[in-house]
Amino acid sequence: MQANLTAYGFMAPAGLLVLLFFFLPVLIVLYLSLTNLASANFTSNLAEMEFIGLRNFQTLLNDQFAKKIFFNTIFYVMSTLALFNVTAALIVSLLTAHINRRAGFVFRALWILPRITTSTVYILIWRRMMAEAPFGIINQVNTALGWPTWNYGAENPWVFVILVNGFIGISFGMIIFTSAIESIPADLMNASLVDGSTYLQRIRHVTLPLLRWPLLFVVTYQSLSLLTSFEQILLLTDGGPGLYRTEVWALTAFHRALSNYFGNTQWGYGSAFAVVLVIIGVILAVVYMRVFRFDELVAEPRIEVL
Amino acid sequence: MFRRSLLVMLALLLLTAVAGVQAQDAVGITIRCKASPPEEDWRCNSFAEVEEQVEMALGIAIDLNLIQDNAGWADYKQEFVLASEAGVAPDIILSGHEDIGAWATAGLIIPLDDMIGMHAEFEDIVPTLWDSHKLGDTIYGIPQDAEARPVFYSKLLLGDLGWSEEDIESLPDRVIAGEFTFADMIATAQEAIDEGVVDEGNGFWHRPSNGPDFLYYYYGNGGAVLDDMGGLVVDGAALLATYELLGGLTESGVMRSDLIGVDWNEVWHPTVAQADTVLFAAGGTWNWPNWAINYVADQGGDAYLFENIGLTLIPAMGTGSAITLTHPLTYMISSGSENPDVALALIAAITTPEHNNKHAIDSFHLGILNAQLESEAYANNRLLSSAHYMLDHTTALPNHPGWNAWSNAYFVGIQAVETGEATPEGAVDIAIAQMTNELGDGITVR
Repeated sequence: MQANLTAYGFMAPAGLLVLLFFFLPVLIVLYLSLTNLASANFTSNLAEMEFIGLRNFQTLLNDQFAKKIFFNTIFYVMSTLALFNVTAALIVSLLTAHINRRAGFVFRALWILPRITTSTVYILIWRRMMAEAPFGIINQVNTALGWPTWNYGAENPWVFVILVNGFIGISFGMIIFTSAIESIPADLMNASLVDGSTYLQRIRHVTLPLLRWPLLFVVTYQSLSLLTSFEQILLLTDGGPGLYRTEVWALTAFHRALSNYFGNTQWGYGSAFAVVLVIIGVILAVVYMRVFRFDELVAEPRIEVL
Repeated sequence: MFRRSLLVMLALLLLTAVAGVQAQDAVGITIRCKASPPEEDWRCNSFAEVEEQVEMALGIAIDLNLIQDNAGWADYKQEFVLASEAGVAPDIILSGHEDIGAWATAGLIIPLDDMIGMHAEFEDIVPTLWDSHKLGDTIYGIPQDAEARPVFYSKLLLGDLGWSEEDIESLPDRVIAGEFTFADMIATAQEAIDEGVVDEGNGFWHRPSNGPDFLYYYYGNGGAVLDDMGGLVVDGAALLATYELLGGLTESGVMRSDLIGVDWNEVWHPTVAQADTVLFAAGGTWNWPNWAINYVADQGGDAYLFENIGLTLIPAMGTGSAITLTHPLTYMISSGSENPDVALALIAAITTPEHNNKHAIDSFHLGILNAQLESEAYANNRLLSSAHYMLDHTTALPNHPGWNAWSNAYFVGIQAVETGEATPEGAVDIAIAQMTNELGDGITVR
């Protein structure tokens, strides 16, 4: 009883934060999604909002681009996750953990730069890089080398959306993986060296099996985080070019509820998009916890139970 | 020593108290403007020039707080809506007249009919401008400026194409007379591409992002947004003609198909301002000083532009008449203002030829007052006199709370047809489906 109270006491601050900054906003967004709140009838008084039931969700289902935006989101999350947030992060960790310690530190610090650079500045750099000839830096290099120029923003928007987000995403996995690699007991490595293992064999049979939990954690955390991220896409392509080519679900919610050229925004309808995102996020979180057996990760060590 | 310090402190306290009393007596007026610096800064700065005059006239002290920057329209408008709800809205907000549709409906701005009569300055405003400042029959805003959205043509490139100087200089008149139509413009652009004067895709450019301009293609093909009762409508035939026109531009290679999405500052302005790459470009009068200051200053600024660029109305499309669109910015008084009469007095004080000419001349916006048009400064300005006639051929956006949904759907259709993702007929279906899905009974398809 005493132990339980202490545990709850320690969990209370975190619990309060989750309550205030997750559950409460979810409830508000859910409520807003059932109203027709827009600029033309805006109020912050919940009681004054006009309740319209599920009509926003009906409009959403009838939206001819909702399907395209949904699959854009899946493509964006999976590609960025698979190529950068996990794979590239793992490669950077393995490489920097196996070279001179100081050099490894310098390289990892470089990879953190995209994450700590202000997003507007970071995207300005990318935009200037990828701009069409004669303005863009890549195209200036192409011209100097006698290569054909290319309108990257129009021809390959996804490549740049994924690169831009991937470069930011690498740092998270890199830090987790590197600390996990460095905490692998030296005797395991020594034993495998004695057995005559090659460098690749050590990675395949010693390092990777011991990285299972960090890998699962990074996949879980980063896929949920990518699902709701849109800031860089907003600044880079704003969902374009053309017809919603790089528009993702969270960006649509933002466009509908908060940002529109002519100013009359639809909070209610935008909230309906956000609610769908919350539902997908919660389902994914539950699936991850079940499939990856997170309960085992947080179980008390058996050695101490004995 | 101690006594002296005590005295100094007491004196300071007293001074602060007196200052506090004075500050309490002053009427606080906050004004929020969006302006591209430096050429549009008079939008808010003019108020500072008349502050004393209004103080003397009303016998009060005014504590003027001017907030002016060049934020994006979306953020700027959102800021006002949220500030209004939070009870900290500025007294005066400058924004596009189309915001009257949503903001008056939401009660964020106040009707001005009863107060306008108190200021003679407003009597001189060009009468047609009031139409776009009403919701129903009620006036909600005072015009700040007007402008025209012309086609800029490169004299340089038309010369390369073999046009005589007379042909080039007479182009605006031929456009008004309907002798040089939009179809002729496309044919000229095609010829320039065929003869290698411009590259494919550079015969004609419109703006690279959503905005009011796109509506004149629809108007120019006989479309209407509001019916006689003020309800939203969409005309299928005009929509189809618009999408056929814009889709045809990219399909033929006269205009690049990836134009929407091109960066304004990195690509659009620097390219068009040079006048050596794009033959025809649809822009706005205010682009001119921006180009002169920011893009061709090294080559002579205004002089370079006058030598190489001309401007004309949008040549006639389906209706047979040349056209443009004016999007007046308007000063509105928020319903949260505690001193709307002082706010309106300030607006009246800057609604004079003297003050508005500064803005018109520096930023190439058209005048709003009859006296202004007759004033020497305005009449002698080469740029303004070359564009003022456009107000006789102008159209405007509608003031309606559903305009946003309408225009978004309309623009989606444009994106679909220009990128080749839909045929013109398909784009009409896409736009109408989106309008009816979001506006329901609020729109009539005809």
